Amino acid sequence: MSKHPSEANLALFAGGELSLWRRWGVKRHVAECAACRDAVDEFLALREQASGMAELPDVAWDSMAAEMRANIRLGLEAGECVTERSSPRHLGFSLRGVAACASLAMLLVVSFLIERPAPRVAELKTDDAAVIETSGSGIQVMEGGRSLMLLNAHAHTVDYQASGSAMGARYVDSDTGQVTINNVYVQ
Amino acid sequence: MSMCSKWIVAAFAGAMALCAQDAPFDPHSSIDIKLPPDSPVALLSTNVRDSGATQRGGAMVIDLHMALSLRNSDSRTIRGITLLVTAQEVTAGGKASVAVPSLNVAPGQAFPVRIDLRLLRPLQAGAGPLVQVSLDGVLFEGLDFYGPNRLNSRRSMTVWEMEAERDRRYFKSVLASAGPEGLQREMLSSLARQDERPHIDVRMSRGRSVTSVGEPERMARFAFLKMPGAPVEAIDGWAEVAGNEARTPTIQVVNRSARPVRYVEIGWIVKDRQGREFLAGSVPAAEGDLLLPPGQTGRVLQDTALRFSRNAGEPVAIGSMTGFVSHVEFADGRVWVPGRKALSAVMAPSPEEQRLADLYRTKGVGAVVEELRKY
Repeated sequence: MSKHPSEANLALFAGGELSLWRRWGVKRHVAECAACRDAVDEFLALREQASGMAELPDVAWDSMAAEMRANIRLGLEAGECVTERSSPRHLGFSLRGVAACASLAMLLVVSFLIERPAPRVAELKTDDAAVIETSGSGIQVMEGGRSLMLLNAHAHTVDYQASGSAMGARYVDSDTGQVTINNVYVQ
Repeated sequence: MSMCSKWIVAAFAGAMALCAQDAPFDPHSSIDIKLPPDSPVALLSTNVRDSGATQRGGAMVIDLHMALSLRNSDSRTIRGITLLVTAQEVTAGGKASVAVPSLNVAPGQAFPVRIDLRLLRPLQAGAGPLVQVSLDGVLFEGLDFYGPNRLNSRRSMTVWEMEAERDRRYFKSVLASAGPEGLQREMLSSLARQDERPHIDVRMSRGRSVTSVGEPERMARFAFLKMPGAPVEAIDGWAEVAGNEARTPTIQVVNRSARPVRYVEIGWIVKDRQGREFLAGSVPAAEGDLLLPPGQTGRVLQDTALRFSRNAGEPVAIGSMTGFVSHVEFADGRVWVPGRKALSAVMAPSPEEQRLADLYRTKGVGAVVEELRKY
Protein backbone atom coordinates (compact mmCIF):
# COMPACT_ATOMS: atom_id res chain seq x y z
CA MET A 1 0.00 0.00 0.00
CA SER A 2 1.24 3.51 -0.90
CA LYS A 3 2.06 6.20 1.67
CA HIS A 4 -0.98 7.84 3.41
CA PRO A 5 -2.02 11.12 1.76
CA SER A 6 -2.02 14.22 3.99
CA GLU A 7 -5.23 15.27 5.72
CA ALA A 8 -5.40 18.37 3.54
CA ASN A 9 -5.24 16.22 0.38
CA LEU A 10 -7.96 13.90 1.75
CA ALA A 11 -10.18 16.95 2.41
CA LEU A 12 -9.53 18.31 -1.09
CA PHE A 13 -10.22 14.86 -2.54
CA ALA A 14 -13.57 14.70 -0.72
CA GLY A 15 -14.45 18.07 -2.21
CA GLY A 16 -13.37 17.07 -5.70
CA GLU A 17 -10.75 19.79 -5.74
CA LEU A 18 -7.55 17.84 -6.39
CA SER A 19 -5.74 17.91 -9.68
CA LEU A 20 -6.35 14.98 -12.01
CA TRP A 21 -3.03 13.23 -11.31
CA ARG A 22 -3.22 13.58 -7.54
CA ARG A 23 -6.88 12.57 -7.51
CA TRP A 24 -5.96 9.33 -9.28
CA GLY A 25 -3.24 8.59 -6.73
CA VAL A 26 -5.42 9.39 -3.69
CA LYS A 27 -8.29 7.41 -5.17
CA ARG A 28 -6.10 4.34 -5.50
CA HIS A 29 -4.89 4.68 -1.90
CA VAL A 30 -8.37 5.26 -0.45
CA ALA A 31 -9.67 2.15 -2.22
CA GLU A 32 -7.11 0.08 -0.30
CA CYS A 33 -6.94 1.98 3.07
CA ALA A 34 -9.92 1.78 5.41
CA ALA A 35 -8.61 4.57 7.72
CA CYS A 36 -8.26 7.09 4.89
CA ARG A 37 -11.62 5.99 3.49
CA ASP A 38 -13.21 6.78 6.88
CA ALA A 39 -11.50 10.17 6.92
CA VAL A 40 -12.84 10.95 3.44
CA ASP A 41 -16.34 9.84 4.54
CA GLU A 42 -16.12 12.22 7.51
CA PHE A 43 -15.11 15.10 5.26
CA LEU A 44 -18.04 14.26 2.95
CA ALA A 45 -20.45 14.19 5.90
CA LEU A 46 -19.10 17.52 7.15
CA ARG A 47 -19.48 18.99 3.70
CA GLU A 48 -23.12 17.89 3.56
CA GLN A 49 -23.78 19.34 7.00
CA ALA A 50 -22.25 22.61 5.97
CA SER A 51 -24.33 22.81 2.82
CA GLY A 52 -27.47 22.03 4.87
CA MET A 53 -26.84 24.87 7.34
CA ALA A 54 -29.08 27.87 7.50
CA GLU A 55 -28.31 30.79 5.31
CA LEU A 56 -25.42 33.00 6.25
CA PRO A 57 -26.19 36.16 8.17
CA ASP A 58 -27.53 38.97 6.14
CA VAL A 59 -24.42 40.67 4.80
CA ALA A 60 -24.38 43.13 1.97
CA TRP A 61 -21.83 41.14 -0.06
CA ASP A 62 -22.27 43.17 -3.22
CA SER A 63 -21.66 46.49 -1.53
CA MET A 64 -18.78 45.03 0.47
CA ALA A 65 -17.18 43.63 -2.70
CA ALA A 66 -17.65 46.96 -4.45
CA GLU A 67 -16.11 48.75 -1.48
CA MET A 68 -13.17 46.34 -1.43
CA ARG A 69 -12.59 46.80 -5.15
CA ALA A 70 -12.77 50.57 -4.77
CA ASN A 71 -10.34 50.52 -1.87
CA ILE A 72 -7.90 48.28 -3.71
CA ARG A 73 -8.12 50.50 -6.77
CA LEU A 74 -7.57 53.56 -4.60
CA GLY A 75 -4.60 51.90 -2.98
CA LEU A 76 -3.11 51.00 -6.33
CA GLU A 77 -3.60 54.51 -7.65
CA ALA A 78 -2.06 55.94 -4.50
CA GLY A 79 0.86 53.59 -5.02
CA GLU A 80 1.17 54.82 -8.60
CA CYS A 81 1.36 58.37 -7.39
CA VAL A 82 4.06 57.81 -4.80
CA THR A 83 6.16 55.34 -6.79
CA GLU A 84 9.13 56.88 -8.55
CA ARG A 85 9.46 55.31 -12.03
CA SER A 86 13.19 55.38 -11.75
CA SER A 87 13.32 53.69 -8.40
CA PRO A 88 15.70 50.81 -8.30
CA ARG A 89 14.23 47.33 -8.76
CA HIS A 90 16.34 45.78 -6.02
CA LEU A 91 13.96 46.87 -3.21
CA GLY A 92 12.44 43.93 -1.33
CA PHE A 93 8.89 45.25 -1.79
CA SER A 94 7.18 47.79 -3.97
CA LEU A 95 5.40 50.89 -2.69
CA ARG A 96 2.40 49.78 -4.73
CA GLY A 97 2.22 46.60 -2.71
CA VAL A 98 2.58 48.49 0.57
CA ALA A 99 -0.26 50.82 -0.37
CA ALA A 100 -2.46 47.89 -1.34
CA CYS A 101 -1.70 46.14 1.97
CA ALA A 102 -2.43 49.34 3.91
CA SER A 103 -5.75 49.69 2.10
CA LEU A 104 -6.67 46.12 2.90
CA ALA A 105 -5.69 46.57 6.53
CA MET A 106 -7.79 49.70 6.73
CA LEU A 107 -10.68 47.85 5.12
CA LEU A 108 -10.38 45.07 7.70
CA VAL A 109 -10.36 47.54 10.58
CA VAL A 110 -13.38 49.41 9.20
CA SER A 111 -15.23 46.13 8.62
CA PHE A 112 -14.51 45.05 12.20
CA LEU A 113 -15.73 48.34 13.59
CA ILE A 114 -18.89 48.22 11.46
CA GLU A 115 -19.71 44.61 12.34
CA ARG A 116 -18.96 44.89 16.08
CA PRO A 117 -22.23 45.19 18.04
CA ALA A 118 -22.58 48.59 19.68
CA PRO A 119 -22.83 48.56 23.50
CA ARG A 120 -26.22 49.47 24.98
CA VAL A 121 -25.83 53.03 26.10
CA ALA A 122 -28.47 52.69 28.83
CA GLU A 123 -26.41 50.16 30.73
CA LEU A 124 -23.06 51.86 30.49
CA LYS A 125 -21.42 52.65 33.79
CA THR A 126 -20.75 56.34 33.90
CA ASP A 127 -18.62 57.51 36.75
CA ASP A 128 -19.76 61.06 36.09
CA ALA A 129 -23.43 60.25 36.76
CA ALA A 130 -24.63 61.71 40.05
CA VAL A 131 -25.29 59.09 42.70
CA ILE A 132 -26.57 59.54 46.24
CA GLU A 133 -25.64 57.09 48.95
CA THR A 134 -26.03 56.81 52.67
CA SER A 135 -23.39 55.80 55.15
CA GLY A 136 -22.98 55.79 58.89
CA SER A 137 -21.87 59.40 58.85
CA GLY A 138 -24.35 60.97 56.44
CA ILE A 139 -25.79 61.28 52.95
CA GLN A 140 -23.49 62.00 50.06
CA VAL A 141 -24.08 63.08 46.48
CA MET A 142 -21.15 62.19 44.22
CA GLU A 143 -20.56 63.51 40.75
CA GLY A 144 -17.41 63.19 38.65
CA GLY A 145 -15.00 62.72 41.56
CA ARG A 146 -16.52 65.55 43.64
CA SER A 147 -18.91 65.10 46.48
CA LEU A 148 -21.15 66.92 48.91
CA MET A 149 -22.05 65.16 52.16
CA LEU A 150 -24.50 66.26 54.83
CA LEU A 151 -23.19 64.78 58.06
CA ASN A 152 -25.38 63.34 60.80
CA ALA A 153 -23.33 64.94 63.52
CA HIS A 154 -24.58 64.53 67.10
CA ALA A 155 -27.06 61.77 66.13
CA HIS A 156 -28.13 58.82 68.29
CA THR A 157 -30.01 56.85 65.61
CA VAL A 158 -30.65 57.88 62.02
CA ASP A 159 -33.52 56.99 59.70
CA TYR A 160 -32.80 57.12 56.00
CA GLN A 161 -35.52 57.43 53.41
CA ALA A 162 -35.43 57.88 49.64
CA SER A 163 -38.13 59.96 48.05
CA GLY A 164 -38.17 60.93 44.39
CA SER A 165 -34.86 62.59 43.60
CA ALA A 166 -33.94 63.12 47.25
CA MET A 167 -32.48 61.06 50.05
CA GLY A 168 -33.31 62.06 53.58
CA ALA A 169 -31.76 61.41 56.99
CA ARG A 170 -33.78 62.11 60.12
CA TYR A 171 -32.35 62.18 63.61
CA VAL A 172 -32.54 63.96 66.93
CA ASP A 173 -29.57 66.27 67.47
CA SER A 174 -28.23 65.29 70.85
CA ASP A 175 -26.90 68.81 71.52
CA THR A 176 -30.06 70.77 70.78
CA GLY A 177 -32.73 68.07 71.26
CA GLN A 178 -34.23 69.17 67.92
CA VAL A 179 -35.23 66.80 65.15
CA THR A 180 -33.09 67.52 62.10
CA ILE A 181 -34.05 66.32 58.62
CA ASN A 182 -31.23 66.48 56.10
CA ASN A 183 -32.04 65.99 52.43
CA VAL A 184 -29.66 65.65 49.52
CA TYR A 185 -31.05 66.00 46.02
CA VAL A 186 -29.83 64.71 42.68
CA GLN A 187 -30.83 66.03 39.27
CA MET B 1 8.69 43.54 64.48
CA SER B 2 12.11 43.61 62.85
CA MET B 3 14.11 46.82 62.46
CA CYS B 4 13.54 46.74 58.71
CA SER B 5 9.76 46.41 59.13
CA LYS B 6 9.75 49.31 61.57
CA TRP B 7 11.52 51.50 59.02
CA ILE B 8 8.98 50.50 56.34
CA VAL B 9 6.03 51.31 58.64
CA ALA B 10 7.62 54.63 59.62
CA ALA B 11 8.21 55.53 55.98
CA PHE B 12 4.62 54.59 55.07
CA ALA B 13 3.22 56.65 57.94
CA GLY B 14 5.35 59.58 56.85
CA ALA B 15 4.10 59.28 53.29
CA MET B 16 0.48 59.17 54.49
CA ALA B 17 1.06 62.22 56.63
CA LEU B 18 2.45 64.06 53.61
CA CYS B 19 -0.54 62.98 51.50
CA ALA B 20 -3.14 64.09 54.09
CA GLN B 21 -2.11 67.40 55.53
CA ASP B 22 -4.04 70.37 56.82
CA ALA B 23 -4.45 73.05 54.21
CA PRO B 24 -4.92 76.80 54.81
CA PHE B 25 -8.64 77.43 54.96
CA ASP B 26 -10.85 80.29 56.04
CA PRO B 27 -14.31 78.95 56.89
CA HIS B 28 -15.91 82.40 57.16
CA SER B 29 -15.08 83.32 53.55
CA SER B 30 -16.17 79.85 52.39
CA ILE B 31 -19.78 80.29 53.54
CA ASP B 32 -22.32 82.73 52.20
CA ILE B 33 -25.55 82.94 54.23
CA LYS B 34 -28.29 84.93 52.53
CA LEU B 35 -31.62 85.80 54.10
CA PRO B 36 -34.22 87.91 52.26
CA PRO B 37 -34.73 91.47 53.50
CA ASP B 38 -38.26 90.63 54.72
CA SER B 39 -37.17 87.33 56.29
CA PRO B 40 -39.10 86.35 59.44
CA VAL B 41 -35.83 85.06 60.92
CA ALA B 42 -32.66 87.05 61.55
CA LEU B 43 -29.14 85.67 61.75
CA LEU B 44 -27.63 86.42 65.15
CA SER B 45 -24.33 84.55 64.85
CA THR B 46 -22.45 81.85 62.94
CA ASN B 47 -20.03 79.58 64.69
CA VAL B 48 -17.65 77.61 62.43
CA ARG B 49 -15.17 76.71 65.15
CA ASP B 50 -14.51 73.06 64.27
CA SER B 51 -14.30 73.54 60.49
CA GLY B 52 -11.16 72.70 58.55
CA ALA B 53 -9.66 71.52 55.29
CA THR B 54 -7.36 68.59 54.58
CA GLN B 55 -5.39 67.95 51.43
CA ARG B 56 -5.55 64.33 50.26
CA GLY B 57 -3.51 63.72 47.16
CA GLY B 58 -4.95 65.89 44.41
CA ALA B 59 -8.16 66.60 46.28
CA MET B 60 -9.29 68.79 49.14
CA VAL B 61 -11.62 67.55 51.88
CA ILE B 62 -13.43 70.40 53.60
CA ASP B 63 -15.38 69.91 56.80
CA LEU B 64 -17.78 72.73 57.53
CA HIS B 65 -19.53 72.71 60.88
CA MET B 66 -21.90 75.63 61.14
CA ALA B 67 -23.87 76.42 64.25
CA LEU B 68 -26.28 79.18 63.28
CA SER B 69 -28.18 81.16 65.84
CA LEU B 70 -31.42 82.56 64.40
CA ARG B 71 -34.05 84.79 65.98
CA ASN B 72 -37.77 84.77 65.25
CA SER B 73 -38.35 88.35 64.12
CA ASP B 74 -41.98 87.68 63.17
CA SER B 75 -45.07 88.11 65.31
CA ARG B 76 -46.09 84.44 64.92
CA THR B 77 -44.69 81.31 66.57
CA ILE B 78 -42.37 79.33 64.29
CA ARG B 79 -43.11 75.59 63.89
CA GLY B 80 -40.44 74.68 61.35
CA ILE B 81 -37.68 76.00 59.11
CA THR B 82 -35.93 74.70 55.98
CA LEU B 83 -32.59 76.01 54.75
CA LEU B 84 -31.31 75.38 51.23
CA VAL B 85 -27.62 74.46 50.95
CA THR B 86 -25.87 74.62 47.58
CA ALA B 87 -22.27 74.07 46.56
CA GLN B 88 -22.29 74.73 42.82
CA GLU B 89 -18.53 74.41 42.50
CA VAL B 90 -18.61 70.94 44.04
CA THR B 91 -21.74 69.38 42.59
CA ALA B 92 -23.27 71.23 39.66
CA GLY B 93 -26.66 69.55 39.95
CA GLY B 94 -26.56 68.60 43.59
CA LYS B 95 -28.16 70.53 46.37
CA ALA B 96 -29.12 69.83 49.94
CA SER B 97 -31.45 71.07 52.63
CA VAL B 98 -31.52 71.09 56.39
CA ALA B 99 -34.96 71.20 57.98
CA VAL B 100 -35.88 71.53 61.62
CA PRO B 101 -39.53 70.63 62.24
CA SER B 102 -41.40 70.44 65.57
CA LEU B 103 -40.17 73.83 66.71
CA ASN B 104 -42.03 76.04 69.15
CA VAL B 105 -40.21 79.37 68.84
CA ALA B 106 -42.12 82.34 70.14
CA PRO B 107 -41.66 85.84 68.63
CA GLY B 108 -38.32 87.34 69.60
CA GLN B 109 -36.86 84.01 70.76
CA ALA B 110 -33.57 82.67 69.41
CA PHE B 111 -33.06 79.10 68.26
CA PRO B 112 -30.10 77.11 66.86
CA VAL B 113 -29.76 75.34 63.50
CA ARG B 114 -26.74 73.13 62.85
CA ILE B 115 -25.39 72.39 59.37
CA ASP B 116 -22.57 69.84 59.12
CA LEU B 117 -21.08 69.40 55.66
CA ARG B 118 -18.19 67.57 54.06
CA LEU B 119 -17.06 68.60 50.60
CA LEU B 120 -14.60 66.85 48.33
CA ARG B 121 -13.24 68.89 45.45
CA PRO B 122 -10.06 69.22 43.37
CA LEU B 123 -7.25 71.41 44.73
CA GLN B 124 -7.68 73.98 41.98
CA ALA B 125 -10.80 75.92 42.89
CA GLY B 126 -12.50 79.06 41.76
CA ALA B 127 -12.84 82.21 43.81
CA GLY B 128 -15.87 82.97 45.97
CA PRO B 129 -17.69 81.10 48.71
CA LEU B 130 -17.89 77.32 48.55
CA VAL B 131 -21.28 76.95 50.15
CA GLN B 132 -24.36 79.11 49.90
CA VAL B 133 -27.06 78.85 52.57
CA SER B 134 -30.43 80.44 51.96
CA LEU B 135 -33.93 80.27 53.37
CA ASP B 136 -36.39 77.98 51.62
CA GLY B 137 -39.27 78.32 54.02
CA VAL B 138 -40.60 78.99 57.49
CA LEU B 139 -43.81 77.41 58.81
CA PHE B 140 -45.77 79.22 61.49
CA GLU B 141 -48.41 78.13 63.95
CA GLY B 142 -51.68 77.82 62.03
CA LEU B 143 -49.78 76.46 58.99
CA ASP B 144 -48.96 79.90 57.55
CA PHE B 145 -45.87 79.82 55.37
CA TYR B 146 -43.14 82.19 54.27
CA GLY B 147 -40.41 81.51 51.71
CA PRO B 148 -39.50 80.86 48.08
CA ASN B 149 -40.44 77.17 48.50
CA ARG B 150 -37.98 75.94 45.85
CA LEU B 151 -37.79 72.52 47.54
CA ASN B 152 -41.53 72.27 48.26
CA SER B 153 -40.71 72.66 51.91
CA ARG B 154 -44.19 74.12 52.51
CA ARG B 155 -45.79 70.74 51.91
CA SER B 156 -43.15 68.76 53.83
CA MET B 157 -43.32 71.05 56.86
CA THR B 158 -47.13 71.08 56.77
CA VAL B 159 -47.14 67.25 56.78
CA TRP B 160 -44.69 67.15 59.72
CA GLU B 161 -46.73 69.72 61.65
CA MET B 162 -50.01 67.85 61.07
CA GLU B 163 -48.37 64.61 62.22
CA ALA B 164 -47.00 66.49 65.24
CA GLU B 165 -50.45 67.83 66.15
CA ARG B 166 -51.91 64.30 65.75
CA ASP B 167 -49.26 62.74 68.00
CA ARG B 168 -49.38 65.45 70.66
CA ARG B 169 -53.16 65.01 70.77
CA TYR B 170 -52.67 61.27 71.25
CA PHE B 171 -50.03 61.59 73.99
CA LYS B 172 -52.13 64.22 75.80
CA SER B 173 -55.09 61.83 75.74
CA VAL B 174 -52.87 59.06 77.16
CA LEU B 175 -51.66 61.44 79.87
CA ALA B 176 -55.23 62.42 80.69
CA SER B 177 -56.50 58.84 80.82
CA ALA B 178 -53.51 56.87 82.23
CA GLY B 179 -51.40 59.55 83.88
CA PRO B 180 -47.58 59.88 83.69
CA GLU B 181 -47.20 56.07 84.03
CA GLY B 182 -49.31 55.56 80.88
CA LEU B 183 -47.28 58.20 79.06
CA GLN B 184 -44.08 56.50 80.24
CA ARG B 185 -45.28 53.17 78.79
CA GLU B 186 -46.00 54.91 75.47
CA MET B 187 -42.54 56.49 75.42
CA LEU B 188 -40.83 53.17 76.21
CA SER B 189 -42.88 51.44 73.53
CA SER B 190 -41.94 54.15 71.00
CA LEU B 191 -38.23 53.89 71.85
CA ALA B 192 -38.39 50.08 71.49
CA ARG B 193 -40.09 50.38 68.08
CA GLN B 194 -37.46 52.86 66.92
CA ASP B 195 -34.65 50.58 68.07
CA GLU B 196 -36.19 47.54 66.39
CA ARG B 197 -36.61 49.23 63.02
CA PRO B 198 -33.96 47.82 60.69
CA HIS B 199 -31.43 50.36 59.50
CA ILE B 200 -30.68 50.02 55.85
CA ASP B 201 -28.14 51.78 53.65
CA VAL B 202 -29.54 52.99 50.35
CA ARG B 203 -27.78 53.97 47.14
CA MET B 204 -29.83 55.95 44.66
CA SER B 205 -29.24 56.96 41.07
CA ARG B 206 -31.48 58.61 38.52
CA GLY B 207 -32.79 56.43 35.68
CA ARG B 208 -31.36 52.95 35.38
CA SER B 209 -28.72 51.42 37.56
CA VAL B 210 -25.16 52.67 37.19
CA THR B 211 -23.79 49.15 37.46
CA SER B 212 -25.16 45.74 36.72
CA VAL B 213 -26.18 43.67 39.74
CA GLY B 214 -25.78 40.43 37.78
CA GLU B 215 -29.11 38.94 38.88
CA PRO B 216 -32.07 38.25 36.59
CA GLU B 217 -34.54 41.10 36.41
CA ARG B 218 -38.20 40.56 37.22
CA MET B 219 -41.28 42.70 37.46
CA ALA B 220 -42.50 42.69 41.08
CA ARG B 221 -46.02 43.81 42.00
CA PHE B 222 -46.89 45.88 45.03
CA ALA B 223 -49.33 44.73 47.67
CA PHE B 224 -51.14 47.63 49.36
CA LEU B 225 -52.10 48.44 52.92
CA LYS B 226 -55.55 49.96 53.33
CA MET B 227 -55.28 53.30 55.12
CA PRO B 228 -58.61 54.17 56.78
CA GLY B 229 -59.92 57.55 55.70
CA ALA B 230 -57.36 57.98 52.89
CA PRO B 231 -58.77 60.22 50.15
CA VAL B 232 -56.66 58.37 47.58
CA GLU B 233 -56.37 54.61 47.13
CA ALA B 234 -53.47 52.78 45.49
CA ILE B 235 -54.92 50.12 43.20
CA ASP B 236 -51.98 48.64 41.31
CA GLY B 237 -48.23 49.00 41.20
CA TRP B 238 -45.02 47.38 40.10
CA ALA B 239 -41.24 47.87 39.98
CA GLU B 240 -38.32 46.22 38.19
CA VAL B 241 -36.40 44.17 40.73
CA ALA B 242 -33.01 42.49 40.38
CA GLY B 243 -31.33 41.15 43.51
CA ASN B 244 -31.05 44.03 45.97
CA GLU B 245 -32.03 46.68 43.47
CA ALA B 246 -35.46 48.10 42.65
CA ARG B 247 -36.04 50.39 39.72
CA THR B 248 -38.74 52.67 38.38
CA PRO B 249 -41.58 52.01 40.83
CA THR B 250 -44.92 52.83 39.23
CA ILE B 251 -48.20 53.01 41.15
CA GLN B 252 -51.74 53.63 39.97
CA VAL B 253 -53.97 55.60 42.29
CA VAL B 254 -57.61 56.64 42.31
CA ASN B 255 -59.07 59.71 44.00
CA ARG B 256 -61.88 58.47 46.29
CA SER B 257 -62.58 61.91 47.74
CA ALA B 258 -64.87 64.68 46.59
CA ARG B 259 -62.00 67.17 46.21
CA PRO B 260 -59.32 67.39 43.50
CA VAL B 261 -55.90 66.10 44.57
CA ARG B 262 -52.59 67.57 43.37
CA TYR B 263 -50.01 65.44 45.17
CA VAL B 264 -49.81 61.89 46.54
CA GLU B 265 -46.94 60.14 48.25
CA ILE B 266 -46.86 56.35 48.57
CA GLY B 267 -44.80 54.80 51.36
CA TRP B 268 -42.70 51.88 50.15
CA ILE B 269 -42.04 48.90 52.42
CA VAL B 270 -39.66 46.20 51.22
CA LYS B 271 -39.51 42.69 52.66
CA ASP B 272 -36.24 40.84 52.22
CA ARG B 273 -35.98 37.09 51.51
CA GLN B 274 -35.64 36.36 55.24
CA GLY B 275 -39.00 38.05 55.86
CA ARG B 276 -37.62 41.21 57.51
CA GLU B 277 -39.47 44.38 56.57
CA PHE B 278 -38.03 47.87 56.26
CA LEU B 279 -39.24 51.21 55.02
CA ALA B 280 -37.36 51.76 51.76
CA GLY B 281 -38.68 55.22 51.10
CA SER B 282 -41.59 56.75 49.30
CA VAL B 283 -42.77 57.21 45.76
CA PRO B 284 -43.88 60.79 45.26
CA ALA B 285 -45.94 62.15 42.41
CA ALA B 286 -43.84 64.30 40.12
CA GLU B 287 -44.36 67.98 40.87
CA GLY B 288 -47.06 69.49 38.68
CA ASP B 289 -47.71 66.18 36.93
CA LEU B 290 -50.68 65.02 38.94
CA LEU B 291 -54.05 66.69 39.20
CA LEU B 292 -56.65 64.09 40.10
CA PRO B 293 -60.27 65.18 39.94
CA PRO B 294 -62.67 63.18 42.16
CA GLY B 295 -63.07 59.58 40.95
CA GLN B 296 -60.19 59.79 38.46
CA THR B 297 -57.16 57.51 38.31
CA GLY B 298 -53.57 58.61 37.85
CA ARG B 299 -50.09 57.23 37.92
CA VAL B 300 -47.27 57.94 40.36
CA LEU B 301 -43.82 56.94 39.20
CA GLN B 302 -40.21 57.51 40.12
CA ASP B 303 -37.39 57.30 37.59
CA THR B 304 -34.74 56.13 40.01
CA ALA B 305 -32.87 52.96 40.92
CA LEU B 306 -32.49 52.12 44.62
CA ARG B 307 -30.03 49.58 45.95
CA PHE B 308 -30.30 48.32 49.52
CA SER B 309 -27.58 46.98 51.79
CA ARG B 310 -26.84 46.60 55.47
CA ASN B 311 -23.77 46.06 57.64
CA ALA B 312 -21.49 48.10 55.38
CA GLY B 313 -22.28 46.60 52.01
CA GLU B 314 -24.07 43.27 52.60
CA PRO B 315 -26.82 43.22 49.90
CA VAL B 316 -30.44 43.00 51.07
CA ALA B 317 -32.20 40.87 48.46
CA ILE B 318 -35.73 42.09 47.74
CA GLY B 319 -38.46 39.51 48.29
CA SER B 320 -41.71 41.47 48.10
CA MET B 321 -42.98 45.06 48.31
CA THR B 322 -45.89 46.79 50.01
CA GLY B 323 -47.17 50.30 49.45
CA PHE B 324 -49.40 52.61 51.47
CA VAL B 325 -50.71 56.14 51.03
CA SER B 326 -48.53 58.20 53.36
CA HIS B 327 -49.95 61.65 52.63
CA VAL B 328 -52.10 63.53 50.15
CA GLU B 329 -52.24 67.20 49.22
CA PHE B 330 -55.49 68.59 47.86
CA ALA B 331 -55.63 71.23 45.14
CA ASP B 332 -56.49 73.88 47.76
CA GLY B 333 -53.22 73.19 49.64
CA ARG B 334 -54.74 71.25 52.53
CA VAL B 335 -52.99 68.04 53.50
CA TRP B 336 -54.20 64.61 54.68
CA VAL B 337 -52.04 62.39 56.89
CA PRO B 338 -52.96 58.90 58.23
CA GLY B 339 -54.38 58.45 61.70
CA ARG B 340 -52.18 56.88 64.43
CA LYS B 341 -54.20 53.64 64.43
CA ALA B 342 -53.32 53.00 60.78
CA LEU B 343 -49.57 53.17 61.41
CA SER B 344 -47.61 49.92 61.62
CA ALA B 345 -44.34 49.27 63.42
CA VAL B 346 -42.34 49.35 60.19
CA MET B 347 -43.42 52.91 59.38
CA ALA B 348 -41.25 55.74 60.63
CA PRO B 349 -42.50 57.63 63.68
CA SER B 350 -43.32 61.29 63.16
CA PRO B 351 -40.52 63.80 63.89
CA GLU B 352 -42.54 64.95 66.94
CA GLU B 353 -42.81 61.42 68.36
CA GLN B 354 -39.07 61.01 67.78
CA ARG B 355 -38.40 64.27 69.62
CA LEU B 356 -40.67 63.47 72.58
CA ALA B 357 -39.26 59.92 72.92
CA ASP B 358 -35.72 61.33 72.88
CA LEU B 359 -36.74 63.90 75.49
CA TYR B 360 -38.02 61.02 77.66
CA ARG B 361 -34.76 59.10 77.10
CA THR B 362 -32.57 62.03 78.17
CA LYS B 363 -34.73 63.87 80.77
CA GLY B 364 -37.49 61.50 81.90
CA VAL B 365 -41.28 61.52 81.80
CA GLY B 366 -41.59 64.78 83.73
CA ALA B 367 -39.92 66.69 80.89
CA VAL B 368 -42.33 65.12 78.37
CA VAL B 369 -45.34 66.09 80.49
CA GLU B 370 -43.95 69.63 80.75
CA GLU B 371 -43.38 69.77 77.00
CA LEU B 372 -46.92 68.61 76.16
CA ARG B 373 -48.37 71.32 78.41
CA LYS B 374 -46.78 73.99 76.20
CA TYR B 375 -49.16 73.16 73.35
